[in-house]
Amino acid sequence: MTRSLPVWWRRRIPRYRLIGARCKECGKIHYPPRTSCPYCGSNSLEEVQLPRRGILESYSVIYSVPGDNRLNAPIIVGLVNINGVRIVAELTDVLPGELSTGLEVEAVVRKISETSDTGIITYGVKFRPVLGAGSGAGQDTGEA
Amino acid sequence: MNDSMVKVYITGTGAVKIARHYPLGVRDLAFQAGKQALAESGSDNVDFVIVASSLSYLQAPQLDLASYIASSLGLHGVRALSVEAGESSGLAALETAVSLIKSQEASRVLLIGVDKMTEHPSGPTYVMLQALYDTESDAYYNIGHAGIAALLMRLYMEKYEVDRLTLAYWPAMMHMHAKNNPHAMLPFAVAPEKVMTAMPIAEPITLLDAYPLGDGAAAIVLENGDELEGRPLAEIESVISATGMPSPALREDPLDLESLRTALGRLGGLEKIDVIELHDSFSIYGLLELETLGLAEKGESAKLVAEGYFSAEGEGPLVNPSGGLKARGHPIGATDVYKLVEVSRILAGTWQGVKRGDEETGMIVSINAAGSSSRIALLRKVKG
Repeated sequence: MTRSLPVWWRRRIPRYRLIGARCKECGKIHYPPRTSCPYCGSNSLEEVQLPRRGILESYSVIYSVPGDNRLNAPIIVGLVNINGVRIVAELTDVLPGELSTGLEVEAVVRKISETSDTGIITYGVKFRPVLGAGSGAGQDTGEA
Repeated sequence: MNDSMVKVYITGTGAVKIARHYPLGVRDLAFQAGKQALAESGSDNVDFVIVASSLSYLQAPQLDLASYIASSLGLHGVRALSVEAGESSGLAALETAVSLIKSQEASRVLLIGVDKMTEHPSGPTYVMLQALYDTESDAYYNIGHAGIAALLMRLYMEKYEVDRLTLAYWPAMMHMHAKNNPHAMLPFAVAPEKVMTAMPIAEPITLLDAYPLGDGAAAIVLENGDELEGRPLAEIESVISATGMPSPALREDPLDLESLRTALGRLGGLEKIDVIELHDSFSIYGLLELETLGLAEKGESAKLVAEGYFSAEGEGPLVNPSGGLKARGHPIGATDVYKLVEVSRILAGTWQGVKRGDEETGMIVSINAAGSSSRIALLRKVKG
């Protein structure tokens, strides 16, 4: 949700490509990248491509959706764990009744919000249930 | 934390009933609460006006709010300061006021908390409330005002195997308490089964788990104990704060309210507390606070609440006699000041709502969002 183009634009790459930050001091990874490490405070960070698959640890089906995006209600938000790095993000391509914790999910790029008075449309990573699980298809390549 | 020997007392309280105050603006509400507090303190003479408000900057919108409110109260030339710390704005303003008095920069401070949440329809208001959370991470998505609390609630239910009905006893207790609070927005009883089956707003959170959108203002007068003009209602023993992770996703355990844990550590432990006003924008936060404060084992707080342990007849400390954010209401920047009014009145023996009658120590807790910051204030009854 943004009414400002620069606010969204400057953070677009990590949001399109699931790029996190690894702290060169303490080694911990977080997403999306911040100005300094939330764990140790160091600003010595390097970009790191996160794997695109993770596990759904929690979720909520949201009906009280803010602003213009109310038209898209309900929106599903999840807490996804990718090799120990947790991300709050929306889920897509799934119905509320198909959700359960422990579900394997994968990252895709989708529209996040649209603000009618400014016309700004934002995009970013959402997660969907892994397609063709067990078939080898959609295997994590580490590529954006 | 402060070596100053200056004691700080509350000598005046004021509170407007929380409601949808369509005819009244931010300044009108602040005026009513401020005048009540000044009248109880016996004097209009203050050298600082501090205003706690969060949404005013988005709802009205108005900047330099404290100066405009001071002027509308007729306090021309007074020093004025606005304090914003999201849902914890009220205790942040208290921290500021107490340090001004302890450092003898001020001797009488009028602290007003005010917010209107109904100047816009709920859709735009949810956009504003979403900004209480980290807009650079979680709140980039359409999490609304309840999404993060909902994620934590489900984690809690699964981790500790607590069922939905047990979690519905918190709102039920809040509504029971609010029935006797003269300024509560929702002063009616609600059965736990109704909470569980109410309309979902962010599953597993239902409408009856969530705080209502209401307008409100509350005020207190704070004075230096060496230069008292009014009758002291309660002493502010301490007020402390800490910041925390910007998102619960960054915590080793997302259910760990580490900012509150850090603030508690700074207090150096707790003595026996008789009455507590917790921050329960959503039930899960109230329960996690009980566990962080050591008043319940992890995963056990909801069961204790359901058994009545924290009610007026219970064995534990009395929790949220006001009805909490859930049922008293939660006009964001004003909420902590309501808690200060309520706990002072309980300690002074002038409270009309739920109480036990022998309370000597009170605690107020507030957090912003899921714990980006937390604050604790300790209040003490004035003897004699």
